[in-house]
Amino acid sequence: MTHWMFDCREISRLVSMSMDERLTLYQRTGLRLHLLMCRCCTRHRRQLFFLRELMHGYSRLCDTRSEGVRLPPETRDRIREKLRQAAAGQ
Amino acid sequence: MDLYAEALYGYALAHLHDPSVAEDLVQETFLAALGGVARFRGGSSVRTWLVGILKHKIMDHLRRKYREGPRRDTAPDGREFEGFFDEHGAWKRKPTRWAADPHRLVQQQQFMETLFECLAGLSERAANAFIFREMEGMTTVELCKLLDISATNCWVILHRARMKLRHCLEVNWFGNTGKEGP
Repeated sequence: MTHWMFDCREISRLVSMSMDERLTLYQRTGLRLHLLMCRCCTRHRRQLFFLRELMHGYSRLCDTRSEGVRLPPETRDRIREKLRQAAAGQ
Repeated sequence: MDLYAEALYGYALAHLHDPSVAEDLVQETFLAALGGVARFRGGSSVRTWLVGILKHKIMDHLRRKYREGPRRDTAPDGREFEGFFDEHGAWKRKPTRWAADPHRLVQQQQFMETLFECLAGLSERAANAFIFREMEGMTTVELCKLLDISATNCWVILHRARMKLRHCLEVNWFGNTGKEGP
């Protein structure tokens, strides 16, 4: 469906751009009017912000927890050995 | 060390998708930390301090890689999203409702595996762009420098990454009944 002057394809580009930059007045107006009338693009936009929130959440999780990813034991041994050598050399 | 090694490895892996590079950078981080331990004054947790070092190492690695590699042009291509839209520019597959809480979903191992599979389906540059923009909140100006691309290319890459990721999750997670979905 084409609403106002932008179609959904163009709106998807503007939605993404609006997450990184300030749009022009023309773009903002076109985007807002389209979103008022188009449920698909409204959902699409909401889901992109959902992804942003999700990645923020993941970033916080990485800061506080470490389960889920296991360092291969041989790597851990290698790192430990290197550290031992480095410490001995200091 | 064990206390932090896995956290650092997980962090590196999320940004790099290459286990061997992730291992190397974790190793370098510990060595750098050992050399600079006198500079650690507290104030932040040891983990935050180590993640900070690792983050710099990851960015140095990517910067070097993209600068040395061939500069691939990713000019906007009108036909690129043909799979998503019909000839009138309308959605071919209408986005469904995502009835999920991102804060709960992020703790679900199975979902995160799907997310990382979807990320792996992107080009490496696109995956890096998405991760640094959405996870680290890096500005597009910083991102352009890191990936050695123009501002326009940066938007194109981010747009492409978001479109593909959203679609991939819709198909592989939210579209499947029986999971936390529409």
